[in-house]
Amino acid sequence: MGTSVQVTPLCGVYNENPLSYLVSIDGFNFLIDCGWNDLFDTSLLEPLSRVASSIDAVLLSHPDTLHLGALPYAMKQLGLSAPVYATEPVHRLGLLTMYDQFLSRKQVSDFDLFTLDDIDSAFQNVIRLTYSQNYHLSGKGEGIVIAPHVAGHMLGGSIWRITKDGEDVIYAVDYNHRKERHLNGTVLQSFVRPAVLITDAYHALYTNQTARQQRDKEFLDTISKHLEVGGNVLLPVDTAGRVLELLLILEQHWSQRGFSFPIYFLTYVSSSTIDYVKSFLEWMSDSISKSFETSRDNAFLLRHVTLLINKTDLDNAPPGPKVVLASMASLEAGFAREIFVEWANDPRNLVLFTETGQFGTLARMLQSAPPPKFVKVTMSKRVPLAGEELIAYEEEQNRLKREEALRASLVKEEETKASHGSDDNSSEPMVIDTKTTHDVVGSHGPAYKDILIDGFVPTSSSVAPMFPFYDNTSEWDDFGEIINPDDYVIKDEDMDRGAMHNGGDVDGRLDEATASLMLDTRPSKVISNELIVTVSCSLVKMDYEGRSDGRSIKSMIAHVSPLKLVLVHAIAEATEHLKQHCLNNISPYVYAPQIEETVDVTSDLCAYKVQLSEKLMSNVIFKKLGDSEVAWVDSEVGKTESDMRSLLPMPGAASPHKPVLVGDLKIADFKQFLSSKGVQVEFAGGGALRCGEYVTLRKVGPTGQKGGASGPQQILIEGPLCEDYYKIRDYLYSQFYLL
Amino acid sequence: MASSSTSLKRREQPISRDGDQLIVTPLGAGSEVGRSCVYMSFRGKNILFDCGIHPAYSGMAALPYFDEIDPSSIDVLLITHFHIDHAASLPYFLEKTTFNGRVFMTHATKAIYKLLLTDYVKVSKVSVEDMLFDEQDINKSMDKIEVIDFHQTVEVNGIKFWCYTAGHVLGAAMFMVDIAGVRILYTGDYSREEDRHLRAAELPQFSPDICIIESTSGVQLHQSRHIREKRFTDVIHSTVSQGGRVLIPAFALGRAQELLLILDEYWANHPDLHNIPIYYASPLAKKCMAVYQTYILSMNDRIRNQFANSNPFVFKHISPLNSIDDFNDVGPSVVMATPGGLQSGLSRQLFDSWCSDKKNACIIPGYMVEGTLAKTIINEPKEVTLMNGLTAPLNMQVHYISFSAHADYAQTSTFLKELMPPNIILVHGEANEMMRLKQKLLTEFPDGNTKIMTPKNCESVEMYFNSEKLAKTIGRLAEKTPDVGDTVSGILVKKGFTYQIMAPDELHVFSQLSTATVTQRITIPFVGAFGVIKHRLEKIFESVESSTDEESGLPALKVHERVTVKQESEKHISLQWSSDPISDMVSDSIVALILNISREVPKIVMEEEDAVKSEEENGKKVEKVIYALLVSLFGDVKLGENGKLVIRVDGNVAQLDKESGEVESEHSGLKERVRVAFERIQSAVKPIPLSAS
Repeated sequence: MGTSVQVTPLCGVYNENPLSYLVSIDGFNFLIDCGWNDLFDTSLLEPLSRVASSIDAVLLSHPDTLHLGALPYAMKQLGLSAPVYATEPVHRLGLLTMYDQFLSRKQVSDFDLFTLDDIDSAFQNVIRLTYSQNYHLSGKGEGIVIAPHVAGHMLGGSIWRITKDGEDVIYAVDYNHRKERHLNGTVLQSFVRPAVLITDAYHALYTNQTARQQRDKEFLDTISKHLEVGGNVLLPVDTAGRVLELLLILEQHWSQRGFSFPIYFLTYVSSSTIDYVKSFLEWMSDSISKSFETSRDNAFLLRHVTLLINKTDLDNAPPGPKVVLASMASLEAGFAREIFVEWANDPRNLVLFTETGQFGTLARMLQSAPPPKFVKVTMSKRVPLAGEELIAYEEEQNRLKREEALRASLVKEEETKASHGSDDNSSEPMVIDTKTTHDVVGSHGPAYKDILIDGFVPTSSSVAPMFPFYDNTSEWDDFGEIINPDDYVIKDEDMDRGAMHNGGDVDGRLDEATASLMLDTRPSKVISNELIVTVSCSLVKMDYEGRSDGRSIKSMIAHVSPLKLVLVHAIAEATEHLKQHCLNNISPYVYAPQIEETVDVTSDLCAYKVQLSEKLMSNVIFKKLGDSEVAWVDSEVGKTESDMRSLLPMPGAASPHKPVLVGDLKIADFKQFLSSKGVQVEFAGGGALRCGEYVTLRKVGPTGQKGGASGPQQILIEGPLCEDYYKIRDYLYSQFYLL
Repeated sequence: MASSSTSLKRREQPISRDGDQLIVTPLGAGSEVGRSCVYMSFRGKNILFDCGIHPAYSGMAALPYFDEIDPSSIDVLLITHFHIDHAASLPYFLEKTTFNGRVFMTHATKAIYKLLLTDYVKVSKVSVEDMLFDEQDINKSMDKIEVIDFHQTVEVNGIKFWCYTAGHVLGAAMFMVDIAGVRILYTGDYSREEDRHLRAAELPQFSPDICIIESTSGVQLHQSRHIREKRFTDVIHSTVSQGGRVLIPAFALGRAQELLLILDEYWANHPDLHNIPIYYASPLAKKCMAVYQTYILSMNDRIRNQFANSNPFVFKHISPLNSIDDFNDVGPSVVMATPGGLQSGLSRQLFDSWCSDKKNACIIPGYMVEGTLAKTIINEPKEVTLMNGLTAPLNMQVHYISFSAHADYAQTSTFLKELMPPNIILVHGEANEMMRLKQKLLTEFPDGNTKIMTPKNCESVEMYFNSEKLAKTIGRLAEKTPDVGDTVSGILVKKGFTYQIMAPDELHVFSQLSTATVTQRITIPFVGAFGVIKHRLEKIFESVESSTDEESGLPALKVHERVTVKQESEKHISLQWSSDPISDMVSDSIVALILNISREVPKIVMEEEDAVKSEEENGKKVEKVIYALLVSLFGDVKLGENGKLVIRVDGNVAQLDKESGEVESEHSGLKERVRVAFERIQSAVKPIPLSAS
């Protein structure tokens, strides 16, 4: 009867690998997240490659590599072609993150897994949703409603709710319940009793999260300490995710303290990132949107932070202590890696990690305790070719060009012959032309020249070469020449000319220098050399990951109390730990599948729909309890005209039922209530409440954390026969509804 | 449908009717333009759309008719956009009435709302008594306003609503409200034509049951956007190239930004114009520019693509102008100035100094209110009166090019044809225009399934929706799908407008509610033999079982399988039971009995005879009570021949069998009523079915 739900992890279970899960709902396959790591290890994507073509929709949760990095590659190479759903910031910032990844890689290697065009085309067809927008899928997914909700981890970050037939499947990873400077906390706790919850155990073992204020103080103290002794501070950051929070903290602190040390934000896309972020106020915390509404102060108008998009600008900056936020956080590529190598051997400098580095990366290595004294780093650089190499390269290119041209012209001749052959009996004189232009596109630049004269190559067919020619006969009728009114309509394009020539081709904005880098087709090569870097600078790690800690995760899951739970994305110990915890406290159905292991979490919930007849409802008296209303019904099943089951009132008197007390008694609240009524109350030992002189009240039986699987509450009230007893019993009854 | 002008305050109608009646009442903008405010009520939920003031009136007279409703009963107030006639009475409504519901508007609307109203308070020169609110009220109201993003679904007290782009101005929204499956679309002001920065109004995914739609443009048709823009730029280009000046009087927000975009782009494409300055002289517009530069996401793809290169609202050829003193009037220029009606202020000052030169031009870009100078000069009089009272010849060219962003007839009719709402309510239009629109629309929907209504202010439109209530039976109760005639008993949980039926012990599984059992244990001092208690209890109660307590080995009694009586010690008896009304009563009587025993030890045993007699008496008493209650309910009740009661109501007859509770009547309504009444009386007279457990 219930909706069938299967979950198959494709990557990211029992370890900290990127996230990618296949969730199939009544045969409709969702790929939720499509992550890759900073090492771009293609072996991680093998499971995905096996199912990519069967996927019907992709949902993205966060704008970082771990959650969407593999999207361009999967679209290009693995045959993924489903529509992608994401929030506007995830789309934009995700695009910028991928640009940054690509450009960082391209600088140091012959990176060929995907190109900028692949990134653009992958992100072109993302369907953008807003938070809490219920999007009804159509076609194969008819009846499924998807909606992103606030996750609180990154700007635009979402937990996804997929609903079919009133049953919810919720995907919530990397959420944060704590409100931050630029983000609101997650709304996960507003979902109650979903059929399935898919969540991560990433932080299940991590518990000692310091209070925000104290953490901020330590963070800023550490930075200023190093700046004051003349050292530089490097913060390896992600491109457009958590870095926003760090920028705000620094910006705020710098204005308060009036520091003059420069702060640089260095990624290939930093200025576009901030420009976009400035227009994403709707997605940020209440306090940020409030301050904009009342005083038009955009929090991301950064006064103390200089945005840089290439390393030269940093090198040209005035010497002296500075703070640099540079990508990538993993130190595997990007500016952060270069700067680290330059700064590592000065003990005055500080490298401040704000998140746990990905497994197997340089950042992770440096975060280990005790930190290594030396690290071996391969530094690569792209240099333009010169001298003999250049000549050799050009010769090679020319040779390729020639060969290709030759091949192309051969093909051409064949085709023109063929098309001429067919030409004779068809009346489409343009065929030759369309064929050739098509080939120009097909045969890439080099063959271009040859094709231009292609039209003049005499063909062996009997038709003499000539330009295609139309006899423009105009048709006439009684009213004169027949015209097409469309020819005289003022074209839309004319009005929008400006926009067209600006906006069109590249989807995201790229900074000029970046664009030049991207379009730079000068022959170049990558040279690598291995360095031993002495790590004498300070290494500090602080938690700015913006994820809930273990305790909050547990209480959050307990609050949501899903009927079935699927755990993903954490090392084995953490997964096992959380699994045991949830089995004991929340639900008997907790799964932690292996990669490519399909778990069936179809709910075994029975349900059927009935119509409530007007007659029945007019006799039902509801009692209000919280935001719902309850009543007892006794009814007989009948049929409506449309053959739907309908509930009618009982013909005779209903057989009496066992009375039910409905309500949730919290001993502490009840204590307050009693004392407000003038009864002396105090807690006695063992969770008992002593009311007045003689009467005691306690909860007995299994005490679950909350509701959950623990069943109805058992309350025991005892005392000697006295007035107090009846009074307190009456107060106790007033906390419940009797049905 | 029946439209009658019943006052809304008279709502003490029977509850069963209330469930299905939907009322829509314009409190403003009913057959008029200005002070938009539409009240809607369905199934006990009350919604107010928009909260504007009438620009032509001042003080209290400008408000919508708020006294028609009880502000404290409103659950949700939805504001479509920031214009004065849609949002300006909000501070008053929030701060000066008993309203305590929730208010929603879009992000951009909220940001501009504050600036606009603060400006409005400053500019409107009215006496203190006429001041509806001050700046402080506006600031306070900001805290109460919640924001909603386009398409985001919000639920308040079971009312679900979300909004679509309306196209009219930045942040303008159309609200779709869903109450128990009945959908109502309120368009506010909308435009189905995409312009330079705004998206066209979206076509909602679902067809609404009721569409409350604006009718400002009536049956007019707009010129195509491209022709308008071409006329606009041509006039400006030719005027400035001949050395003239162009004055564009416009309202600070909304259309002004669109015109600035056109100008900036035109200048960018015509380098020969680069030396001619463009100014916009409105401090308010200048302040709001930051909002326009930020909420790019609410605009159309064109702007978003441009934004990928540079922010189009950072103008390259246009500069702000604070006052006329900063304006160096030396050569050709283009100035956009407020107010739009040329009543006073900067636009008037410029007009006065430029109107007599025939090289100059004035372009009126939108709807002009009757009685303003702008409206007058459209008719190109020979002379005009200047602000200083003198008259001057009107030589400058005057052009009227409407950039109004209201849907015209073509847009309205296609919009409605696509949506096909069964009920259309026209608001926000001048009465005559509205009637014309109604007539013309009726010809478009000739099948007669569509009702078009044009209520005046405070005139209610009543509609009836037969909404089926569907419940989902879940959990153990649903293990077997029942057949006709089976019974279903369980807890019905209503949340918003969804119903679920479940077994009581599964309540905590499927809802946030939980059940509880309360066990009570009470000790009573008692000195004497336990056997006495047992004997006495057996006299009174039908079922008394003796047993021994497993732990202590002491004797125990179980009365009616509910209450356990135990001898705790020589001086104490304990009673233990699990709470419910019947057990509580049984235990109370046991307590009384035990107390009696200890007070007056030997007592005469009641005679059997008496018991029988009293039973008979009881029976008679019960019958009397039933009769009296029935009379009080139905009036004419007689004892029939066969011992049945005969009840007559309005000529209908019902016969009631007192024993079985069966009712015979030809009138099914009466039959049902009598049956229910008798059932309830019975349960009141004989409340405790002790036999059941």
